[in-house]
Amino acid sequence: MTIVGPLGPSLAPLIRRNRTLYQWFKPVSDWYANVAGHRKVGLKYDDLLVEERPDVERALARLTPREEYDRAFRFKRASQCSVLHDNLPKDQWLKPEEVCNSSQTSTLLPAHTGPPQDVRYLKPLVEEVEKEDLERRKWDTIAVERRR
Amino acid sequence: MLAARASAARAASRIARTRNFATVVDSAGVKVAAADNGEATSAVTFIVKAGSRFESKPGVAHALKNYAFKSTDKRSSLGTVREAELYGGVLSSSLSREHLAITAEFLRGDEAFFVDVLSSYLTSTKFTRYELTELVGPTCEAETSAALSNPATHAVELAHALAFRNGLGNSIFATPGHHLTADDVRAYAQSVFGSGNVAVLGTGIDPAALEKLLEKSLGKFAAAASPASSTSKYFGGETRVDAHGAPETVFIGFGTSGAPSAELAVLAAHLDPTPSVKWSKSTSPIAAGIPEGSSVQAVYLPYSDASLFGLLVQGSTTAAVKEAGKAAVAALQAAGNLKGEELQKAIAKAKFTAASAVDGRDGLISSLGPKILSGTSASLSEAVSSLEKVDASAFSKASASLLKTKPTFVAVGDVKSLPYADELGL
Repeated sequence: MTIVGPLGPSLAPLIRRNRTLYQWFKPVSDWYANVAGHRKVGLKYDDLLVEERPDVERALARLTPREEYDRAFRFKRASQCSVLHDNLPKDQWLKPEEVCNSSQTSTLLPAHTGPPQDVRYLKPLVEEVEKEDLERRKWDTIAVERRR
Repeated sequence: MLAARASAARAASRIARTRNFATVVDSAGVKVAAADNGEATSAVTFIVKAGSRFESKPGVAHALKNYAFKSTDKRSSLGTVREAELYGGVLSSSLSREHLAITAEFLRGDEAFFVDVLSSYLTSTKFTRYELTELVGPTCEAETSAALSNPATHAVELAHALAFRNGLGNSIFATPGHHLTADDVRAYAQSVFGSGNVAVLGTGIDPAALEKLLEKSLGKFAAAASPASSTSKYFGGETRVDAHGAPETVFIGFGTSGAPSAELAVLAAHLDPTPSVKWSKSTSPIAAGIPEGSSVQAVYLPYSDASLFGLLVQGSTTAAVKEAGKAAVAALQAAGNLKGEELQKAIAKAKFTAASAVDGRDGLISSLGPKILSGTSASLSEAVSSLEKVDASAFSKASASLLKTKPTFVAVGDVKSLPYADELGL
């Protein structure tokens, strides 16, 4: 369980449900996502998840071979950008639509026209692993009563 | 002899009386047979016509078997295991060439939970991709390598492939490295899991209670057509596989297509050199001819529309295997003119084998399951009485026509010096 960071609790679903709140927050969040700069080096938001945790490691093992390959590609490209102290050319920046669409795996393909809602390729898997861990803890510490 | 025969007849009638599973009823579209003979524990088995014979892709039936008790809509795989442990039950699954059987054995009174576990496997298994890579795949691989490291199992597997090619020739073990996806397994499961393709067998459980539980848990069970499989045809052939560090093995087999006949069961009983008393020598014609350090087993594998009959010869040296193989083939060729007391002895032995097979739960599943599934009367007296009807002329005719077919010859071990089929007199 993390308190802060991308795997911690989030108010985003609540904001997304409320139309007014959503309209207020949307420009701010767009600005923040742009300033964070991961899209400029070709990384997805879920590429920023802390890897060095047993649950995230297990979730990473559950990616499809294609997702795994694309993830490695994005990391190589981003580290090359870091070496060069430069961003990718602007036409190769990840667009929000592309960030959202998990099936869209290559940035070189034409932009997908899906809803610009943040769909994440790794977080659902991490959540599944976390649920399994919680269930294991529940079964490990369960108190059994004999019913008479 | 007479006394032996009388007691066998008595046993047959006793079986028919107390172990009558003939009450096959349809519940939620599934054939159910149950009997309560006052056992201390109950067992419920779901038998599905989903063996390797019907598989769409090699190994998919094996993977489906190992997906048993993995996560379903109702509970996760861990939840299933832990809850079954708390109840003190045992869950198991087994695969044959024609049927997939999943079994729960449990204390009386816990049937509601275990029947629900079994039926949720049929109705709502998730077939997740990560379970295939994390749990199912490694299990399949381990089972395959463990089974095929035994030369006898390996030889019988190869013999099936030679004898029947497709259908029954499919291996029940998934080949390691063969690409199988969770979607393949799900598609196969959807094609075989359905009413009309599933039978339920209960022991130590009241039939009415079992039906009620099934109606509750299998409520919306879709109908499924019987999986397609071409009629089995016997081919035969010869193959040799190198193996080291295990007994030298030769399998000499013959096959028939069509429903299994009682004569072959009698022939197997006649030839089988396993003694009835430990440390003694059997009176089987093979027993006298085999050298020290070698063994011969009669293998009789009946399927719904074909059967494979064979002699499995094993020994520590290839010379011993060759000698034992010669003796076995000579005995098999001479078996045709069996009559009188010798024939009666073989029949009594076959009857005992058939009757004692149903004493254990495993035997009960394999012998009664297919009968319940096909809807024929699920009683054992029939199997025993068909053995009683075997006479000398029918027996010699059956064994002559068996020997006329092309032999299936498999050698596993030191292929340089293991004998060839013609060297054994085939």
